[in-house]
Amino acid sequence: MPEYDPGKPSMIDSHVLSTPATRSWPTLVELRRKFAGRWVFSLLLVTGCAILTLLVLAPLYTLLSKSVENKAGEFVGLENFARYLSSGGIESAFFNSLWVAGLSTLVVVFLAFMAAWALTRTRLPFTGWIRGVLVLPILAPSLLPAISLVYLFGNQGVIKDWLFGAEIYGPIGIIMGSCFWTFPHALMILLTAMDNADGRHYEAATALKAGPWRTFWTVTVPGARYGLVSAAFVVFTLVITDFGVPKVIGGQFDVLATDIYKQVIGQQKFEMGAVVSVLLLLPAMLAFIADRYVQRKQSASFTARSVPYKPSHDRKRDTVGALMLTPTLVFIFAIIGMAIYASFVTFWPYNLDLSLNNYQFGRMDGGGWGAYGNSLQMALGTMVIGTMLVFFNAWLMERTPQPRFLTGLFQFLSLLPLAVPGLVLGLSYIFFFNHPDNPINGIYGTLFILMLCTITHFYAVSHLTAVTALKQLDQEFEAVGESLNASRWRVLFTVTLPLCLPTILDVALYLFVNAMTTVSAVVFLYGHDSQLASVAVLNMDEAGDIAPAAAMAILITATCAGAKLIQGLLRSWVDRSTRPWRQGTE
Amino acid sequence: MSQKTQGSRLEIQGVDKFFDNFCALKNIDLIIEPGELVCFLGPSGCGKTTLLRIIAGLECQSGGLLRQGDTDISLKPPRDRDFGIVFQSYALFPNMTVADNIAYGLRSIGVPKARVRSRVDELLNLVGLEDHARKYPAQLSGGQQQRVALARALAPSPGLLLLDEPLSALDAKVRHHLRSEIRNLQKQLGVTTIMVTHDQEEALAMADRVVVMNNGVIEQVGTPLEIYQQPASAFVASFIGAMNFIDSSPLNGQRVKVGNRELDLIRPLPSAEGAVRLAIRPEDVHLLPCGDGEWEGEVRALDYLGAFIRTHIRLNDVELDLVVDVDPRSARRLGLCVGGGICLNLPSDALHCFAA
Repeated sequence: MPEYDPGKPSMIDSHVLSTPATRSWPTLVELRRKFAGRWVFSLLLVTGCAILTLLVLAPLYTLLSKSVENKAGEFVGLENFARYLSSGGIESAFFNSLWVAGLSTLVVVFLAFMAAWALTRTRLPFTGWIRGVLVLPILAPSLLPAISLVYLFGNQGVIKDWLFGAEIYGPIGIIMGSCFWTFPHALMILLTAMDNADGRHYEAATALKAGPWRTFWTVTVPGARYGLVSAAFVVFTLVITDFGVPKVIGGQFDVLATDIYKQVIGQQKFEMGAVVSVLLLLPAMLAFIADRYVQRKQSASFTARSVPYKPSHDRKRDTVGALMLTPTLVFIFAIIGMAIYASFVTFWPYNLDLSLNNYQFGRMDGGGWGAYGNSLQMALGTMVIGTMLVFFNAWLMERTPQPRFLTGLFQFLSLLPLAVPGLVLGLSYIFFFNHPDNPINGIYGTLFILMLCTITHFYAVSHLTAVTALKQLDQEFEAVGESLNASRWRVLFTVTLPLCLPTILDVALYLFVNAMTTVSAVVFLYGHDSQLASVAVLNMDEAGDIAPAAAMAILITATCAGAKLIQGLLRSWVDRSTRPWRQGTE
Repeated sequence: MSQKTQGSRLEIQGVDKFFDNFCALKNIDLIIEPGELVCFLGPSGCGKTTLLRIIAGLECQSGGLLRQGDTDISLKPPRDRDFGIVFQSYALFPNMTVADNIAYGLRSIGVPKARVRSRVDELLNLVGLEDHARKYPAQLSGGQQQRVALARALAPSPGLLLLDEPLSALDAKVRHHLRSEIRNLQKQLGVTTIMVTHDQEEALAMADRVVVMNNGVIEQVGTPLEIYQQPASAFVASFIGAMNFIDSSPLNGQRVKVGNRELDLIRPLPSAEGAVRLAIRPEDVHLLPCGDGEWEGEVRALDYLGAFIRTHIRLNDVELDLVVDVDPRSARRLGLCVGGGICLNLPSDALHCFAA
């Protein structure tokens, strides 16, 4: 071996560069290394970015530009907005949307917080079952509570008198219906926030002689504050962008979501639809940005390892908890029970005999069983393609070497759908994909575009779930793999995927259920051969076939429940067969 | 055992690393001989882990050259380098059994099945986990997981073994035991090993040579004895073991002035001008009965630390506090008690001096 002399210049290879004392740009050596072997992954993530640009950014851009064009496609500046303003749309629809969404948010967050408190801070029996019932609404399309409310409080409603003469068709109905289907979203966020309670804080409060009331205000509420804020933003966005509930039970009460639908479907005024969409996009965007801001703060305050809180036995507190849960449980049972009952009643309210007449969809308009078959196909496709796309992209972003700007761009593109209401997304898809110059406008009106739209619509939450799971894996797996001559691909298939299987199942179920139940994004996009079950509910309701609409809504809910059951079985099988891996760590 | 492999020689030449404007490593030169166990020792943030990751290729140097054996590896990705690595978290694959974890590296290079099996058995024997081959990592104790990680890294017989704080996640007793176990294993296999640690005791006990790092530069490279007895800088002196520092000003030749006293040194002064810091280890100070020594002081506090007593002494006439370690028998002989007087000598052969 030649003697090594650090002073001998001949030993210094060409790529050894002299480095100044400080600098902020990479040297040639770093660039060469960074590029070698890594460009494949970067290229793949660039592809991911391009796909999302095509699915979110480009359609949104078309929508925005449509809002400042006239029917002939000429640029007219803010003229359309001025026209909408002068038509009184702002006063009615915009402010109606705001206050209805605001009030619903208050009610839902309050109810969900009570429920979460009762589930995490008392020792009630059957909490597993109670949790299951409380999240049931998530399996139903948002149209279902509206239909149920018509049967309960409508003109021929069972308990119409309970409203003391007030109309269910309008804000009351919208708020009640919205509360039903957004409740599980708020509850799940709050349960996550409150399950993580640190028992030592409660012990400290007790040691400092704080009573239950003071402990509640000084420990419980502050601990859940980020969850409360987050739940509020989520519910507000869901309600203001929802279209199903106000469509069915809104009556003459205008909100932005129904206004878009009326402008586009009723009057064929696409540019005015775009204007209202922009108005709907604004509050949703604001809520999204605010929520991101708050969550960033939360992750910073979430560091120390805590001792999990275990509530003690306390008769009085358990009773309070039961009382807090009762109204919500009764409401959920009443809504679902009513819809099931109504779907079997032969002819409401004159012939109350039970029969399967309403399930003979072939006799009604709306697409019948074919629509249900389409929905199943669309949901399965969304589930399979969506899960693969989401997971693969999240893996590229989290577990492969990527330049920082690329991961930042990808993160932005994948979270953007969270801020885009379904109706707005659907409308922008018309503008973008139905454009004669778009080379792929052939997919317009097919099941495939419905699938793409649904994947996009629910991309953000799936992405966040996948990223969270991938982040939890040891950061050195890939490094160890490389030292053992294994490529990142091999580590992906032998380690990462098996470890993420439960999360993959969760994402798959999430996409399936949402694809089955969604109305807002797809209502503009279905074609003659691609009718969907959820849209059929809407159309049958509009045609006055309210009992078949209830039947179809129940069918969708039952399908989702079935999917949930299958997923639950798969998950428990995975959990069982992987228990030895987890022993000791969980 | 017959599986002695040839450890590789590693040369690091002029390696720099910048993170944005922060300089993490500055012009690092180091040669590691085949079969050596070298510890990178330093406080957190000194660059030791960055250097290890650069050697592994997990981080890319901003400039400089790396050479393993006769090959220039500066630009090679980790997969093309010849090393095994054990991380602080072990990063064992939780979904694989102990045997599958150890076999992972062999399978990626397509070693035949029968050969994989015999090699895995060999390694299980080596780390004493024959009975745990079918278990999953989560079913093992921390120390056992550590051994699996070690076996996995060693399975493809790498020329270089990299250990990133391998013992810091374990409790003290297991740590002491594994220390000698790793050392024996390393000697037996002859694999060149680099270990990163912030625990000086660990470094001194295990290493052939210790590389003391601070603020992105190497402060000293030497055997444990050398860096303890002849620290090259005030940083090394204070970081390794305990040290008393005494400020002084140089006089002519090898004389310095401490307070109003003058001292002769046996070593030349580090610089002709400017203040000088003298340093002496607590165990090197000679305590004497009152009236016998050159310096007079008062005992301020006594800490009983088992095998020795740490005595805090105030030298009144030069306003200086010293820490002195005394064995209990001498302490009894001297009648050490808080508030009592004491005399001491500072042996000139034990005095280090550094530029202030």
